[in-house]
Amino acid sequence: MQFFHNLHIDFLSKRKIFYVVSSVLIIIGLSVFFTKGITLGIDFAGGTELLVRFHDNIHIDDVRSAMDQTGIVGAEIKTMGSEKDILIRTAEPGEGTTVSDKIKDALSKNISGNSFEVLRIDKVGPKIGKELRVSAIYATLFSLIAILIYLAFRFEFLYALGAVLGLFHDVLITLGMIAIFHVIFPNLNLELNQGMVAAFLTLIGFSVNDTVIVFDRIRENIKLYKNEDIVSVMNKSINTTLSRTVITSGTVFLTIFILLLFGGEVNRTFAFTFTVGVVTGTYSSIYVASAFVVDMKMFQQKRKLKVPGKVAAYKA
Amino acid sequence: MKKNRFRILLTVLFLGLSLYFLYPTYKDHQFNQEISKLTNAQDSAAFFDKYSNDVLKARENRIKLGLDLQGGMYVIMEVDIAKLLSDLSKKQDDILKQALEATSEQVKTSDEDFVDLFETKLKEKGLSLKAYYGEIRDDDSKIKKDLKTEVENAIDRAIQVVRNRIDQYGVSEPVIQKKGSSRLVVELPGVSNVQEVRKLLQGTALLEFKLVIDPQIAIKVMEKINTYLAGGNLDSLVKADSLEKITKLDSLKKDTSKTTKTEIKKDSTSITSKKDTTKKDITKKDTSKKNVTKKDTLKQDSNLTGLTDSNGNPIDTNQQMSEEEFKKKNPWFYLIHPQQYKDGSVVWFVKETDKAKVLKILEKKEVQDIVPTDISFSFSNRSQFMDAGEKIYQFYILKKDPELTGGVVVNARSNIDPTSNSPVVYMEMNSDGSADWARITGANINKQIAIVLDNVVYSAPVVRNKITGGNSQIEGMANIQEAKLLEIVLKAGALPAPLSIIEERTVGPSLGEDSIQKGLYSSVIALILVALFMIVYYHFAGGVADLALIFNMLFVMGIMASFHATLTLPGIAALILTIGMAVDSNVLIYERIREELAGGKPLRTAIEIGYKKAFSAILDTHLTSLITAVILYQFGTGPIQGFALTLIIGLIANLFTAIIITRIIFDIMTDKGRTQINFG
Repeated sequence: MQFFHNLHIDFLSKRKIFYVVSSVLIIIGLSVFFTKGITLGIDFAGGTELLVRFHDNIHIDDVRSAMDQTGIVGAEIKTMGSEKDILIRTAEPGEGTTVSDKIKDALSKNISGNSFEVLRIDKVGPKIGKELRVSAIYATLFSLIAILIYLAFRFEFLYALGAVLGLFHDVLITLGMIAIFHVIFPNLNLELNQGMVAAFLTLIGFSVNDTVIVFDRIRENIKLYKNEDIVSVMNKSINTTLSRTVITSGTVFLTIFILLLFGGEVNRTFAFTFTVGVVTGTYSSIYVASAFVVDMKMFQQKRKLKVPGKVAAYKA
Repeated sequence: MKKNRFRILLTVLFLGLSLYFLYPTYKDHQFNQEISKLTNAQDSAAFFDKYSNDVLKARENRIKLGLDLQGGMYVIMEVDIAKLLSDLSKKQDDILKQALEATSEQVKTSDEDFVDLFETKLKEKGLSLKAYYGEIRDDDSKIKKDLKTEVENAIDRAIQVVRNRIDQYGVSEPVIQKKGSSRLVVELPGVSNVQEVRKLLQGTALLEFKLVIDPQIAIKVMEKINTYLAGGNLDSLVKADSLEKITKLDSLKKDTSKTTKTEIKKDSTSITSKKDTTKKDITKKDTSKKNVTKKDTLKQDSNLTGLTDSNGNPIDTNQQMSEEEFKKKNPWFYLIHPQQYKDGSVVWFVKETDKAKVLKILEKKEVQDIVPTDISFSFSNRSQFMDAGEKIYQFYILKKDPELTGGVVVNARSNIDPTSNSPVVYMEMNSDGSADWARITGANINKQIAIVLDNVVYSAPVVRNKITGGNSQIEGMANIQEAKLLEIVLKAGALPAPLSIIEERTVGPSLGEDSIQKGLYSSVIALILVALFMIVYYHFAGGVADLALIFNMLFVMGIMASFHATLTLPGIAALILTIGMAVDSNVLIYERIREELAGGKPLRTAIEIGYKKAFSAILDTHLTSLITAVILYQFGTGPIQGFALTLIIGLIANLFTAIIITRIIFDIMTDKGRTQINFG
């Protein structure tokens, strides 16, 4: 069995169209991200979060009124997966863990005839939340820089730059997609937490794989086809590695999609982020990383051609 | 072929190691299933009696599950530096309070050191650290340095206090770690009573000085318990008590098999007034030293115990009772082994594995009824020595009401005594305490006073003389570490390190089970689907890649078990991701081989070139993934680190399984003359 045999698709000639597509997607995604925002998870926002499982199905309004009666107002209350599992989150300040005790009291006092079990309690102080936010940003930037340095050693600097540009593209698109999905399907309970940061870093590592494999082939083919121009060598390389790219992305997509479907709430954000990342990562190795290198190479060549002309002009 | 032989050897070795390290996990699973089948308490007790060692060993070496999978509590606590500085200050006024409050507020959004910020706040008010801390001669930089050391010490004290309490609470496999200069991370697997634990972690440490009960009285109490447990006649014992028959001592030695290997070392510490070089107190110290050495030389052959068995007859070991018989007749003394010394003092020892049993017995109402109300029981903080590979703890019978509480201790300092070159701890008390201390020590010369922190005895020095003036000296510690620990303990009572919980995560056990199930379910589906795809697409070669995939999973789990790494829920996600990515290397290789075969190369050459050309790409992809995984490990906490670690192990294992193991199979086939292998 073979999906792609003797392909000769001219990927790179259409790159300008996809520049536009990517830019539009990023702009839409980021404007949704910045206007609607996405929920900051407990890890980064701080506060208290309880996941409780009731014995029977329960209505969210009942939980809310139970909470209101004890004076914890403005708590975020939502179902997690089933009508029995309720997530309560509040930014209510309180020494130690007094808040979670108060919530538990409120539930047991004001909801009768439906016993509950506390599945999880998270309390994150504001200081920790801030520290985690900062270190998440550092971690993402460090990863990008580390990859830039590594690739600059292994390939030309221009290629490394292209690859990292592709990664930026992936992170931005994924972030935008999360924001859009969060608005359309609030029930997915997507939120920016440590799991999402983990997904971003893993996606950076995965997405650069695709790019590296294409570049690896380009490096090889440049020596083989010395007389052909850069666009045709690159197209050839993309075509020959396409089969592998699709298969690997396919198997990874398959596994992560299974995790998204069956992995439960805790891994949901991770799985969703990575699912989007696999698609954009595959796409960006062709239409961002390779395309950028092509355009830069062509730009350099043009300048090289122009320079002698200028020198000649001076001489004259 | 030679190259192949080495590869095969390596593969078999790794496989063997993985299975070896995974065996306890399998065994643990089996035990758990058997235990869940046991319905009544009797059966389970019998089961534990028979297999307890195996069960414990398997549990210790199985793959550790993270808190998110097995349930438990994760807490980060921070030393309340503001409170500490306020406690340390010579005077508490409004300016100090304001400055501390302002500093606490600012430190939330600043990376600067608390003490540094505090100093600038004071300077803004026209004051210096000197106004509140240090001696008149000290300059500001010295005071600042001292304060910073105090903060550092506070966290060490907090760790000691917390560890002490958690050990008593009986959590299996707790993790207690220092994080940064003022934080403490505590992981308590399987804990569900959140309120209780929180109280345990945050309560102020209680330091007490308690009198050790006179051995003669202690023996009587212990005999009562023994008689009760053996089902003996309590009335007759009470009578025996009143007739003071028990005081008639017979020399005897119980259970020879148990004690001959045991080298008993009694707590040989002693307490005296602090030596002042201007006073000629040296002679006193010399006598105490002599005393210590005399006691040290006492060996178990000089043991004398004046015990009666449950029938009121003196225990006679010359009779050489069998272990079973002894256990039946003296259930209490089977758990608590008494040792008596020539000077009349008795020391009680309990094996680590018996500690829980002893506590349970003491909690019984019937037992409490026969124990005098003014008596309490405590264990020593650490095992005194080992016997047949088991830790032995000392058991103390103390007067319930403390003579003094730790609040009177102003300072404690461990040091090496320059004249005797032995470790020593100096303890300083305030004036109220000093007066009491003089009275207490004066009335109890040559008796032991236990230093008890949160109901654990850290030391029980013998009082050598009446200590006036509040400066005491404790000596006889085995080494400087022991002295340092005693200093920490004494200070914990004097200067509590106030802790606040800044992060707390609790996972109930049912959520963990849920997660494991979902994780396993997803992994299996992913594994089957990916494996099927590989066979459909690459036919025979796909099957070879699947074999490598299974080896990969085995190795990852084996490595995790051998490192005692923790499997978390995100870790399972990493495992699933590894399944998806692991076949990538084989896909790269196979695609290359197909290209070469299509170009008309013979099988053997095509395989060789395929592996060779794919290698640089495989290495690059693995290294870039490793870079991000390592950074993630650095950044993440708890579960996320579990994810990164699993991914890192998966990537490294994959380099081996995807490149070497598959190659062995292809090489063997071509060596045997195969010219056709189905690459789909």
